[in-house]
Order: sequence, then structure tokens, then C-alpha cells
Amino acid sequence: MSPRPLRRKPPEKPVDNRRAIRNILTLLKDHKWKLILTVVCAVISTAFTIIAPLLIGQATTLIYDGINNLIHNTGSIDFDSLIDLLTIVVALYAVSSLFSYLQSIFLIEVTTKISYDLREKLIEKILHLPMDKVEENKRGDILSRVTNDVDSLQNGITQSFIQLITAVITLIGVFLMMLSINIWMTLATVILIPIAFLLIRFMTKFSQRYFLKQLEFKGSLNGQIEETFTGHDIIRAFNQEDISMEKFESDNENWFSHEWKSQFYSSLNGPLMNFISNFTYVVVAVLGAVFVLQRVIAVGDILAFFQYTQSFTRPIQQITRVMNQIQTAMAASERIFEFLEYEDEENPSSNEISEIKDGITFENVSFSYTPNEKIIKNLSFDVKKGEKIAIVGETGAGKTTIVKLLMRFYDLDSGSIKIDGMDIDEYDKHSLRSLIGMVLQDSWLFSDTISKNIQYGNLDATGEEIKDAASQVYADNFIRQLPEGYESELNEDTDNISHGQKQLLTIARTILSKKEVLILDEATSSVDTRTEKLIQKAMDKLMEGKTSFIIAHRLSTIRNADKIIVIENGKIIEQGTHEELLALKGYYYNTLNAQSRENV
Amino acid sequence: MKKLFKPMQNKIHLILFIFIFLLIQVYCDLTLPQYTANIVNIGIQNTNFQYILDTGLIMLLMVAISALATVGVSYFSSRVSSGYAKDLRKIIYNKVLKFSNHELNEISRSSLITRTTNDVNQLQGVLGFIFTTLIFAPLLGIGSIIKVFELQTNLSWIILVNFVAVIILLVVIMVRVLPYFKITQEIIDRINKTAREILIGIPVIKAFVRQDFEEDKFQKVNKEFYDVNIYVFKTILIMLPLMTMIMNIMVVLILYFGAYDAINNGILTGDIIAFIQYATQIVTSFLMIGGFFIMLPRFLVSGRRISEVLNTEITITDGEIEEISTNSTIEFRDVSYRYPGSEKETLKNINFSLKPGKTTAIIGGIGSGKSTILNLIPRLQDPTSGEILIDGENIKKFNLKSLREKISFTPQKAILFQGDVRSNMKIGKSDASDEEIKNALDLSQVDFVEDLAEEVTQGGSNFSGGQKQRLSIARGIIGKHDFYLFDDCFSALDMNTERKIKDNLKELKDSSILIVSQRISTIRDADEILVVDNGEIVDRGTHDELVESCEIYKEIANIQIDYMEALL
Repeated sequence: MSPRPLRRKPPEKPVDNRRAIRNILTLLKDHKWKLILTVVCAVISTAFTIIAPLLIGQATTLIYDGINNLIHNTGSIDFDSLIDLLTIVVALYAVSSLFSYLQSIFLIEVTTKISYDLREKLIEKILHLPMDKVEENKRGDILSRVTNDVDSLQNGITQSFIQLITAVITLIGVFLMMLSINIWMTLATVILIPIAFLLIRFMTKFSQRYFLKQLEFKGSLNGQIEETFTGHDIIRAFNQEDISMEKFESDNENWFSHEWKSQFYSSLNGPLMNFISNFTYVVVAVLGAVFVLQRVIAVGDILAFFQYTQSFTRPIQQITRVMNQIQTAMAASERIFEFLEYEDEENPSSNEISEIKDGITFENVSFSYTPNEKIIKNLSFDVKKGEKIAIVGETGAGKTTIVKLLMRFYDLDSGSIKIDGMDIDEYDKHSLRSLIGMVLQDSWLFSDTISKNIQYGNLDATGEEIKDAASQVYADNFIRQLPEGYESELNEDTDNISHGQKQLLTIARTILSKKEVLILDEATSSVDTRTEKLIQKAMDKLMEGKTSFIIAHRLSTIRNADKIIVIENGKIIEQGTHEELLALKGYYYNTLNAQSRENV
Repeated sequence: MKKLFKPMQNKIHLILFIFIFLLIQVYCDLTLPQYTANIVNIGIQNTNFQYILDTGLIMLLMVAISALATVGVSYFSSRVSSGYAKDLRKIIYNKVLKFSNHELNEISRSSLITRTTNDVNQLQGVLGFIFTTLIFAPLLGIGSIIKVFELQTNLSWIILVNFVAVIILLVVIMVRVLPYFKITQEIIDRINKTAREILIGIPVIKAFVRQDFEEDKFQKVNKEFYDVNIYVFKTILIMLPLMTMIMNIMVVLILYFGAYDAINNGILTGDIIAFIQYATQIVTSFLMIGGFFIMLPRFLVSGRRISEVLNTEITITDGEIEEISTNSTIEFRDVSYRYPGSEKETLKNINFSLKPGKTTAIIGGIGSGKSTILNLIPRLQDPTSGEILIDGENIKKFNLKSLREKISFTPQKAILFQGDVRSNMKIGKSDASDEEIKNALDLSQVDFVEDLAEEVTQGGSNFSGGQKQRLSIARGIIGKHDFYLFDDCFSALDMNTERKIKDNLKELKDSSILIVSQRISTIRDADEILVVDNGEIVDRGTHDELVESCEIYKEIANIQIDYMEALL
């Protein structure tokens, strides 16, 4: 008579069970004592629940005998004993409820703490991973570890831990209690269990086939919906509505025809369990009655048995459900630990660097993201303190990679980058990075106030200094025009200010941080021309008196640079000043010429 | 919400089947305690073996019927809930296809996607739950109550007392916890947001060496989440032990007062046993309904989100005139456009016309309203005031299909569809031959496609931005149209490629062309250039005229001449 369970998805399977279990166990180990308390409470609670039906049965027998006495006029119901029995029952239940509550409290404290710690560790890991590891994993994938996986691990531990324990205790306890009443009735009940298990297993396997099948169709339908809604303009502009609808309908029908079957077969577990528990009920009623007549058991024992069989089928349902949850949890823990086991970014040297005295040298630098695909090939050039270097070249030539190497986001394949003659590997990474300011085109800001975002450059900066930095880069004007000025909140996608304005803020942030070396990526066409002009002015301001690497697009920047390096396919093809390069009459000269003809 | 029930209408007969099968199931299940009572009261009392066995056989029959009925319920409820989801999805999809940009901007596109997929799934999930609880639970409850009265005891008040106790407990806990559900959701969102932000910002965080700062930031949200969780769980977890306690005390009470009843009214032991079982069923069914109401808010949220889509009014109406003459002229007359909810007009009093054989260009900064002008022509959205005319007739009078047939539209964001290169090109011209496709690809400088059957993944993600733009241009020019609209679609191309494509576009010289761009080089050859600033046309003329007369144009030109596009 139980309600049908909701549709169950087949669990994600972990790859290495033993390792997953070992990982989960290490998590649990820190909370050993609370967990032991949990188990103790669970045992007490379950034990008391198991004893109660026996007493209820005895109370029923008392009543039955009393009624018989009344009929035969040999006495009445023994109320004293009845009250005694019932009082004990109430006490048992009270204790059991109390411990069951305590048990769940202890457990939830443990698991909530575990997931709190895991989230913390994951974020810490994200923050300390080497760049290539971060880039190697899909963003959504990493995020789902922090949220979904931690969640399903917590659920898995909470549910499975306690349900497994109570289920096992209940099964054993109930089995013993039933045995104490009657061995044959017990056997009749118990024999159904393995059958139920096998049937459920079979059903799950069977329905899994349909489940996986419908999953495919679901994916393709969802993909189509996503695509259509994103490309809505095209659909309309090219009169594709009918075609799109047709395609949708066929996908929709396809999914439906598999989906309802999958749902049907997987929901059959409910009727199955229902049948088994009903069947047991009848067996107990009939066998029980027969044994009562043979004076083997008392009438109340039938009632007790009813309650026991009920608490016998429930744990079985629980165990099958828990098994799935455990698998999901193990899969989740595997994904979490796989991530946590990544090596942190190394920072072996404690050699702090606080200023540049001489200059920066690239010596035969080679680098590749993936083996055999050299992005930077044998690159050499040097920059004196206070010089401006313009890096020019087509998209994909490797310009950004060069500056990222200076930041030590990646390790070189060969060659070396030196500051004041010492390899940058020999410096403390953090101090090296603190030396360099970076303004890239995709400007990262976080959803907080504008003032907090600028302050990011120097956490100790005062409000005055923040405003000052903003005015220096011509951002003060637009900030003041916002409804709440400097205290305006950027929203989650930080799209309540324009792209150009965001870039001004990142420049203000960098100016505030007072870096010695700057890496700047000049704006391209994605910003409108007038904002762009502002950004350029702000960048010029920022560069005053600093050693700068500029990924340059503007002729005026390039012309004013102390040195220009022209990159093609990861190699320097020309380097020198503007005049030198013009005199060379090479690539630089030719492009520039073509360019001027186009525009003037 | 009414529209949500529409897909249900053609399934009423199926739901009736569910109801009938559930009725059968409940009926059969509920006879069992009654038969047990009979076994005790008659079979045991009179030592009648035959009676016990006979009753047992009848019970088995009931169990078998009940089992078949449950299979039936599963079958029909799967069909109904899956079918409902299918039909609902279709209704939403069909509706969204008719949306104009106006509606698309009101409910964002990504939200529309979740509404069509996740929210429908949510509803479907709840639907299965409704059949098992909203129909099953009352049937079980009412059936049990009838059975209880048939037993003719004086114990019914005990059930009532328990009922009240359970309700009070539920209400107290829900009142304490419900507000926190929303808070929890908000914190989860914040955790996601913070984690995402950190992940995206890794290079900047590393550059500023702000790892500790970010850790602290995350820890704050994380701690909040922890505290709320502990509170919510501690409150909710008290429910189960207390519920069990209440149920068990009920059994005890029944036994105690049953004993008195036995003396005073002569009820029998079997009846007490049956009574206990029925009473348990009643409370259980009540708990199931309570559980449903816990699920209800989730259902309502999804339901509301979907009905919002279904209730959205579509602003674009179809016209009747199907015939549009070739070589027609499009004229904007005092056209203004204001985004819903915006105070500022995106476009103000726009006047210009597109004439056959002429190229018109629009230049202006980001957010100046250039793209909006383009969107108005194929009626992706309608102007808020003013008129757009084709040969003197308002475009609203024309059949949408015929109108759009006349126009080729290449948007700023190049979007391709899953399939292959050929299928994508056929969107531009449904009966295009391979020859025509290859020609269009050549004209658009698509030199990276070797085979027309080359796969295009969802959204065209297997091509780079520049490649997508070229494919999208090819799609735009493959068909013969009277008007070609290009919305800044050369931005990801380098100067050489752009020049080559533009040379090739001269093949379209009999039609009218409208190009939107931020680059002077793209538009300098146009017959007329409109300079748009802040939604207004501030100046118009040829390149040579504007360079002389227009301040804004001069400014743009000066900056760009200083700009080394080819070295990009």
C-alpha cells in the first residue's frame, strides 16, 4: 500500500570504487566521534522501535483473552497489565524518537561541515592551480564540482549512511523478533526478500535501456530548442518557422515515445513492492491464524507480525534506493577528489623582487600549450627599464602568450626570461606578479560596487585615492553620472555598464596598484570609437614612466614605442624602432603602406 | 495558469483510467484488514480452518487484482505526464517562434530555453506525483474512513485527535522553515555566482596576487550557507521522529480505549486490529497530501514561468498583401523606437530610403541604434512610432513571409545551425544547388570548407568567429533578394578579406544594400552614408562630403586612420 516512488534515474557510476570509498572514508575520519555517536543513537532508536510491536502484540492478546473471558464469563480484561504494557510502549517510542532526532542532528552537522570544507578546498584549489590546469577543464565542469557534486556527496552520505545503518539494524532486529514469535511465519516472510531483490534488479536493468535511449533524444531536442531560440532572428528573417517547427515536432515525438516507456518501466518497481508487501500480509494473516488455532502463537502476535513485515519490506526498498545514491555520491566524490588531487602551482623560490633595476630579457624562449604545437618559437629580445615595447602581429600570432609567460602563468619549454639578469623562475612568483600590472581586453570585474572594484588594485586605498585614480583615467565622469556614483553595484554579468567603461575601470584599478611593469592590450573595434579614444588616453596616462609591454593596434602607440617587435607564427620576424623598421622595407613597411593607401 | 491545463484536455479519458485503476487498487488494498478481522473474529474464534483458508484465497485474489491495477496506473500516468510535457513543449515552442525581438528581450532568450526544457520537466515530474498523491491519497483516506465507520467502534475520535496533532506539527514547522527555503536558494545562487566569478577572474586574481582576498570572500558566503543549512535541517528533521511518535501513540490509544470499547460495546479483537491498520492509512494519506503541498511551491514557480511565456502578447501582426513588386523602394518616415521599459528612445525620427541599385551605409558608435534600424526592416520588431513604407504602403500591410522573402539579413552575431554547411546555406535559399552554394561560398571568401557535407555543430561552435561571419554572409547572399542588410558582419574579418568580399558584393548591384559598420573603410564607397549618434541621424552624405562637413565623422575617421587594422 505504499505510494509509487518517483522516477529514478540510473546512477552515475564511479570508475574506481575502492578509491572512491577510501576518499569518502578519509572525509568521515575527521568526524569520527560524532559519527560514532550517530551510530550509537541509531542503534538505540532502532532497537527500541523493534521491541515495541512485540509488546503491542502482547497487549492485543491481553484484550483478546479478556474478551474471551468476558464471553465465557470467566473474568475480564486485565487492565493493570494492559496499562503497564502500553506505558512501556509509549516510553519505548519516546526514547526511540528522541534518539532518532539526535542521530539525525549529529549526522547533519557532520555532513554539512564536510560539504562546507569541500567547497572551501575546491575554491582554494581553483585559486592555486596552474593556469593550464584551469584552462584544461571546462568552466561549467569545474563549477558543477563546487555545487552539484558537493551536494550529491552530502546527500549521499547523509541518506546512505543513516539509512544503511538503520536498515541493517532493523533487518537483523526484526528478523530476530519474528524468529522469537514463530519460525515458519518468519521463513515465509524472509523467503520473499531475495525474490524481491532479484525482481527489482531485473526491472532496473530493463528500464535502464529505455532511460538511456530517451536521454539521447532529450539531448537532441534540448539542443534544438537552444539553437532555435538563440538564432531566432535568422529563423524569422529567412522564413524558417515552419521548417523549424517540423523538425521540433519530429524530435519531440521521438523523445516522447521513448520517454513515456522509460518512465513506465522504471515506475514498475512501485507496483512490484506493493505486490510483495501485500502478498506477505496475506501469508502472515493466514499462517498466523492457523498457528493461533494450533496454539503455537497468540492472536496479538499476528498484529505484531504485521508491523514487523512492514518494517521488513521498507528497509529493502531503502537499501535499493540507497545503493543508487551511494553510487552517485561515489561518482561525485571521485570528481571532487580528482580535482583536489591536481598539483598546486609551484612556487619554490622565496626570493622576493620589489623593483626592476636594469631590464627584462627574453632568451630563446619557446613554449607550447600542447606538445608538438609550438606557440612561441625561439624568441629573444630585451627591454630596458622604463622602455615601451610594442608587440604587433596578427590575431593568433602569440602576442598575448608572450606577456602571459612573463607573468609566469605557464612554464617555458626552453629558454629563459630574465629580470635584472636573474631567471624569473628564481623569484617568488607572487612578488613577481605584484610587480606587473595587466590590462587585458576582456576586463574582469566582480559584482560589487565600482569603488570596491577599483580598490582591488590596492586594498588599502582610501576613497580619495580611488576617486583620484578614476579621474586620472577619465572614468570619474561616467561614474558620477551613475545613480549611486562610486557605490553603484555592478550586476552579476557586470553588463550594466558598457564594455568600454569596464575597461576604464580596470585601468583605474591598475593605476591604483602602482605597478612597475605594465602589460596592456589595446582596444580593438569592439568598443565604439569615442570611448576608445578615452581608453587610449587613460592607457597613455597609465604608462607614464613605466616599463610597458603593449599589444598594439594603434599607429601612434607603435610609432612612439622605444621598440617594436613584429610577431608572426610565434616568431619575431622584425624588431627595432619605427624608423628602423621602415628603413628595413620588410613586412612592417609593406603592411603600413597598404594600410595608409586604404584609409587616406 | 489556465493555459497550462490546455494540454491536459485531450487526456481526460486517460486520467479517468488512472482514477478507475487507483479506485480498484485502493478498494482491493482496503479489503485486506477487513478480511484479517474476519479471520480473527470468525475463523479463530470458531476454530474454522476452512474459513481461514477460503478467506486467504480471496485475499490473494484481491492482492493480484490490486497489483494489476497498479501496473495500469503506472502505464497511464506515464503516458499522461509524458504526453502532457510533450504537448506543452510544443505549445511553448510554437508560441516563441512567433515572438518578435520585443518579446524576446522582455523574457531573455536563455530564460526561454530553460522554461521550455527544465520548467516543463519540473511540471512533468510533479504531475506524476499528483496522480499518486492528489488522487491516491484522498481515495485511500476516504476509503479508510468508510471502513472505520463500518467497524462501528467508538474510537474514531482518536483519529481526529491525531489528525489535529499532525496538522499543528506540520504548520509549526512549515512556518518556521518556509521563509528559509527562499533564503537558501538565494545563497546557493550567490555561491555559484562567487565561484563562477573567481573562476573567470583567475588571471586577474593571480596577477594581483589576491588569492587570500578571494578565499575570504568565498568563505563568507559558504559560512552563511552552512548556518542556514544547519538551521533548516535541524528544524525539518524534527518532523520525522515526531510524526512517527504521533502515529505510534495513536496505536497505543486505540488499544487502550479499544479494550474499554470491547467491554462496553462488545467489539472484537479482529476489529481492533483492523481499526489500527485503517487509522494508520488515514494518517498516512494525510501525510502524503501534506507532502504534496510542500512540493507545490516548486510546481507553482515553474508553472508561473511557463504561463508567463504563454500569456505574452505577440506584438507583430501579419499583413495581407502578398504581392510586392520588384525594384521597390523602402522608406523610413519619422521612425522612432523605444525599448520596453526604457525611458530613452533608441531611435528618434529616422528618415531615409533604400533605392534599387543604391548602397546605403550607417555608421555610429556602439548603442547608437544602428542595429535597431536594421531589425525594423524585416519586422523583427515594429517601430513605436512613424512608418516604414514599401512603395508607399506601410510594411505592416504586407504578408510577413512575402516581406521577408524580399530581404536578406546578415546579423552582427553570426549564428549557424547544427547540420552541415549545405543545410546552413539552404536556409538562405531552400532549393540552392551545390553549384550555387559553392559560388556563394566563393564570393564570401569561404576558403576553409572543402566539402559541403562538412559538419556544423550546435551554434556553429566548430568554426572561428571570422569563419562563422563569412559563412553567415554566404547564407545572406546566396538567394536573390531586393534588399540586402549587413549588420556589422565584417568586424571579425581582416582588412584583406573584407575588401575582397566587398568587391564581390558588387554582383548584387541591382538590389538595394544597407551596410551597418563602425569602420570607415567598410562604408566609404556607399552612395549615401548616414551618421547615427544617440539614435538620431546627425548627418548624411558621401564619404568625401562627410569628411569635409561632419565633425563626428571626421573624428571617427581620424581615429581609424591612426589604427593599424591589418596588424590586428
